[in-house]
Amino acid sequence: MLRFVVRRLILLIPILIGLSILIFLYLRALPGSPAVALLGERATPETIAAIENDYGLDEPIYVQYWRYTKNIILEFDLGTSSQTRQAVTEELRLRFPATIELAIGAMIFATIFGIPLGFIAAKRYGTWIDQTSLIVSLIGISIPIFFLAIILKYIFSVRLGWLPSVGRQDPLLDAEHPTNFFILDAIITRNWEAFVDAIRHLILPAIALGTIPLAIIARITRASTLDVQNEDYVRTARAKGVSPHTVDRRHIFRNALLPITTIVGLQVGLLLSGAVLTEKVFAWPGVGSWLVDAIENRDYAVLQGGILFLAVVFVFVNLFVDITYAYINPRIRLS
Amino acid sequence: MSVAEFEGRQVLEQAPQGLWSDAWSRVRRNPGAIAGFILVGFFLILAIFAPLIAPFGPRDVVAPLTDAFQRPSADHWAGLDQQSRDEWSRIVYGARYSLVIGIVSVVVGLTIGLILGGVAGYFGGTIDSVIMRCMDVMLSIPSLLLAIGIVAVLGPGFFQIMIAIGIVNIPIFARLLRGSVLAQKENDFVLAARSVGVPRRTILFSHILPNSVSPLIVQATLAMATAIIDVAALGFLGLGPPDPGTPEWGTMLSDVNRYFVSGPHLAIAPGLAIVLVVLGFNLIGDALREALDPKLRGR
Repeated sequence: MLRFVVRRLILLIPILIGLSILIFLYLRALPGSPAVALLGERATPETIAAIENDYGLDEPIYVQYWRYTKNIILEFDLGTSSQTRQAVTEELRLRFPATIELAIGAMIFATIFGIPLGFIAAKRYGTWIDQTSLIVSLIGISIPIFFLAIILKYIFSVRLGWLPSVGRQDPLLDAEHPTNFFILDAIITRNWEAFVDAIRHLILPAIALGTIPLAIIARITRASTLDVQNEDYVRTARAKGVSPHTVDRRHIFRNALLPITTIVGLQVGLLLSGAVLTEKVFAWPGVGSWLVDAIENRDYAVLQGGILFLAVVFVFVNLFVDITYAYINPRIRLS
Repeated sequence: MSVAEFEGRQVLEQAPQGLWSDAWSRVRRNPGAIAGFILVGFFLILAIFAPLIAPFGPRDVVAPLTDAFQRPSADHWAGLDQQSRDEWSRIVYGARYSLVIGIVSVVVGLTIGLILGGVAGYFGGTIDSVIMRCMDVMLSIPSLLLAIGIVAVLGPGFFQIMIAIGIVNIPIFARLLRGSVLAQKENDFVLAARSVGVPRRTILFSHILPNSVSPLIVQATLAMATAIIDVAALGFLGLGPPDPGTPEWGTMLSDVNRYFVSGPHLAIAPGLAIVLVVLGFNLIGDALREALDPKLRGR
């Protein structure tokens, strides 16, 4: 197991190096000099020269790249937003928890409904329940997140007024935020009013973001349950007289879960992409809506830092998924 | 007649069917596939014959501005939008943008991905490692973020969106073809071709590629579905065409997000159009996968 983890970690190094080169070159690929990008329209030849000297932009490109990576690794410095004049890392600290909270909410929604849906469909293979679940999940995969988000927002907040339509928290509510995970904060500070408020704000965005993963998880669960159901050990267990319920739970469901863990992990990329759209519709103050604003404001430091950060998160989550999978599945761990 | 002879004759009496005719007959019997072809065909007809089908031009103001946000009626099937333009006509013309951008971007991704994946799989060694590590780096950025980043560099516009979504598709096809080539390389017919001195390029293009086509067709169909959603997503985020009057479905949806209270019905038409065309491609892709999968054949 340890050898597996070490091997996967070593494989990560070229990816991270490649990623940093790509993102570094990204800012250089932008039209105009990075100094102009930083200064915006107020740039004069003197200020551009000053900035280029300040940031070392007049040095050879490999020196610049070296300093760029050194700053990231040693000082966790991703540059400064040209819009707010705040450090990119500082804004990330405030906004990333919002995106994680949204992603976790979406994933909980997707697994709680997706796994049982797929499992029941497989148990009732060929019946109308199975057909319906197939159709529903196919439609779920085909709906653009932002369309679903708009519909949910219209029905449940504009029309019915059951749930708030924008943001993470009622602006009039008094709450402290030691971690910026609002639900966690409410629990830590024992502020139950804020707790309910945070959950109410989370429901609609989480459903919008979780629907595609739900459909995918349901489909994979169905397929994998159908596979496992015909295995010899399931027949043996039945022949031994193990009760149908126990066979379902211990022999079928447990083994069917294996591919599902990978699929759940693979949804993370989808969630991060989807978060951009969901956050835009619900004005959720996370990393996604921040990146979209950065494009509109031509705030390239934010775009560069934000994309690099999310990509690194994505790479590590995939690593974690691989390791978990190997841990659950001895056939991979030992090979 | 021995049992073996009898069985042998029985096998021969069944008409031999090639992969493609067999797959085609399976696809035809699949109701999902038929629904998919009808949906995609419908939107293709809309796109091709848009000027004949649409009652108005996509940018024509067809009623006084006081009638903006009018609900659907007999004259205007999908109502009027915020500038009193006919929503249905805009949907019809919008089909052109979605389908053309989708097709071009998948073709771009497919072509470049095929070359890279084929070269990597066939030559192996350092070339393989370098190409595939580059693909890994591209895959390590979530797809929509990569597309957003590229459009931010290139600037908004249809051509730029095609390039961005095409690039996002490259690593997917490269990986697929590389895996397929690696599997095909070990086959006896490749060894046979090599031993009689067939040049490497000919082996790759006339022996290995044709045998890797079926997973690529499935992936290309499903990639169309994703590409259409991504096009709409970029439009929704305001990275679509620079002219805000363009009837692109995603851009139309982002307008609705702004005029939420006055014209909520304007969300339905573009949203439904995207769902239906994407559903169509997904249905076809699924049916093709079932039909072309050798494991499922002969069942």
